[in-house]
Amino acid sequence: MLLEPVQPVWFSLNFKYDDCMKEIRILLAGNPNVGKTTLFNSLCGVHQHTGNYPGVTVEIKEGKREAHDHSIIISDLPGTYSLSAFTPDEQVARDALLTSDPDVIVQIVDATNIERNLFFTTQLLEIGIPLVIALNMCDLADEQGITIDDKCLGKNLNIPVVRVVAKKGEGIQKLVDTIIEAAETTTKPDHRKIEYPHLVTTHIDEIGNYLSSHASLLKTLSPHYAAIRLLEGDEHLLTMLHEKGLDIPFIDKGDPAERDGITEDILLARYRAAEKVTTCSVMCTMGRVMPADLIDQVLTHRIFGIPIFLSCMWFAFQLTFSASNPFLVGIEYVWGYFTKIINGIGMDPLIRSFLSDGVIGGVGSVLVFVPSIFVMFIILSILEDSGYLARAAFVMDRFMHSIGLHGRSFIPFLIGFGCNVPAIMATRTLQSRADRFITIITIPFMSCAARLPVYVLFAGVFFGAAAGNVIFFLYVLGILVAIVSALIFRRVVFKDEPSPFIMELPPYRMPGGFTAVLHMWYKGREYLKRAGIVIFGGVLVVWALATLPAGVEYGSAESLAGIIGQAVEPLFAPLGFNWQLVVGLIFGFIAKEVVVGSLGTLYGGEDMLESSLAADPTISPAIALAYMVFVLLYMPCVAALGVIRQEMGNWKWTAIAIGWGILMAYLFAFILLHVGSLFIGA
Amino acid sequence: MVPLSLSQTGDTVVVRAIQGTGHLAIILGQLGMIIGIKLTVVEKGKESVIVRIGESRYALGAGAASMVLVEFQV
Ligand SMILES: Nc1nc2c(ncn2[C@@H]2O[C@H](COP(=O)(O)OP(=O)(O)O)[C@@H](O)[C@H]2O)c(=O)[nH]1
Ligand SMILES: [Mg+2]
Repeated sequence: MLLEPVQPVWFSLNFKYDDCMKEIRILLAGNPNVGKTTLFNSLCGVHQHTGNYPGVTVEIKEGKREAHDHSIIISDLPGTYSLSAFTPDEQVARDALLTSDPDVIVQIVDATNIERNLFFTTQLLEIGIPLVIALNMCDLADEQGITIDDKCLGKNLNIPVVRVVAKKGEGIQKLVDTIIEAAETTTKPDHRKIEYPHLVTTHIDEIGNYLSSHASLLKTLSPHYAAIRLLEGDEHLLTMLHEKGLDIPFIDKGDPAERDGITEDILLARYRAAEKVTTCSVMCTMGRVMPADLIDQVLTHRIFGIPIFLSCMWFAFQLTFSASNPFLVGIEYVWGYFTKIINGIGMDPLIRSFLSDGVIGGVGSVLVFVPSIFVMFIILSILEDSGYLARAAFVMDRFMHSIGLHGRSFIPFLIGFGCNVPAIMATRTLQSRADRFITIITIPFMSCAARLPVYVLFAGVFFGAAAGNVIFFLYVLGILVAIVSALIFRRVVFKDEPSPFIMELPPYRMPGGFTAVLHMWYKGREYLKRAGIVIFGGVLVVWALATLPAGVEYGSAESLAGIIGQAVEPLFAPLGFNWQLVVGLIFGFIAKEVVVGSLGTLYGGEDMLESSLAADPTISPAIALAYMVFVLLYMPCVAALGVIRQEMGNWKWTAIAIGWGILMAYLFAFILLHVGSLFIGA
Repeated sequence: MVPLSLSQTGDTVVVRAIQGTGHLAIILGQLGMIIGIKLTVVEKGKESVIVRIGESRYALGAGAASMVLVEFQV
């Protein structure tokens, strides 16, 4: 007989505590760029990434807030303009809204753009789940002379409306109270109904009646609402019902032209409702000025747009290197000082080797680059917050189109210079699978911040004064390889045309110095954390391999690292990499900074990494160049590989993406080795 | 009626039809680009355009712009 397990006291206490906390699940929905994530951060006290362009959030993020004996579970959804989902990120939002059956839906409405936001409201109203409107950006509305009568707005829609300024945390407590109140209300929400033309209502009733007899298939949707969704052209719902073997009247049998007419009538009815509510609750007291039009005319000019963009990039690139120089010198000085101290103290040689080779040589070599990376993150965050990113995508659309990519792909590419992982995630905002796959395959050629240490190290040692140009060349090479790859994949594999480019351009905002620094700090901190854990771990393994088996000379060809490196070395003989470089490549798969970390460990010893590399006769400038090219192109790191697999959805395409990268790396490293040898000496 | 891709910077136009099959009409519709709506052409690229409806600006690539038929307003 089984004995009842004895429960520890804390468990039962805990249980009781949870029991009296009522759980409320809410969804934050709304158009892109209205401040959903900013509000989420305010509500949960977290720091999810925000930015001033559509498509920052591409997956659901969950958080929690406790108030008045309630535990509110909050989900931040990707932005959508309506429930008709066309891209994977919109699909995620749609599914959450229609199938997850939350207690309350909170729609965040941009007070400066009420009418279009209300179009989505008219869809959310009908779901039949209590809806609360958080009227956000009230600070901007005030500034622009827009007066909103929130009481009237609420009365017209028959839903609670709360004014908030998510960025400053204003109105959050009132919003929380309203949400709890809405969740506690037991009566069915009585939202304002949209008035459809008679013809539309007949069809809704016809389909609704048919669906009532299959209500169990609809799960949480009411038959009436499902009918409206179907008439609005909801293909996901239609496919789902078709799979269950349903044959829906009018939708499946009716005349397609007539059906499109009904879809349009519903659209118009929604806009009419939105317009009616807007006119009676929104007042503009000031004549509107449109300075943004002028800025747009300059920044997106058909002739100057591209040169302006390229100059911005060039400037950003220069800033990354020059601004971080003073820090570099400082950090190097500090590490050099530590090395001296360690060498001065008498201690076990194994521990000393660990400290000077592993910690200072390995991790230290990577940390030296933190300032550059911080500067790069701050530039990216300014780009994201100002509103220019979306304009750049527009400016580059024609070019992107000509190489077989979608204009929107441009945003993931730019993000990829910071880190490939979020860049690959950002492809969820692309509509067609082909556009997405080509973008994912080519993103790893965007040289991420983690590759920078490798370039700075090798270019600095082997190219001296020309280092800056060499590094710039590597970035350009990455872009060129991406272009060539995109062209090849579009011509050979995905022969269809990229889907049409339509994107909302967000209003220009002065990137707040504080927000930018905050962004930089959170991303930089991620980098530091990785340097602490992943890079340290990788370096530790390399150090152990260089020390073992016991008794061999540290980092020699007889050590385990040497044996592994030499075993793989023949593969790289045509590229001229010695075994230390090969070990770097192998471990660079963990994270590209580890390339520098492992070389630091292997070459460490008494001297600094730079001087040891310069003194190694087996590495010529041409080989160094080939090595940098190889590191640039060869393979995404483990983290990026994981997201590639996740976003591609199968191993076949993941393997193609990796294989392609290795092929390109080998090819271009080989070419540059030989071309390089002609000019800079083998 | 002419395609939006033939308009010029500064034009004010009224949408008269959205051509083509597929989702274009729904995608534009959810952004407020419905038949009868007035657009201002903020910037005209080679064939692509940036238009403004009320407070919102949208960028349309050449493909999308050529599917939107508009009438000029004087
Ligand atoms: N002035 C002002 N800006 C805001 C407010 N809320 C959000 N923002 C800005 O609006 C932009 C979009 O915010 P985000 O949370 O990423 O929007 P999401 O796409 O809806 O998640 C960011 O640049 C925010 O800093 C607000 O209440 N006032
Ligand atoms: Mg967001």
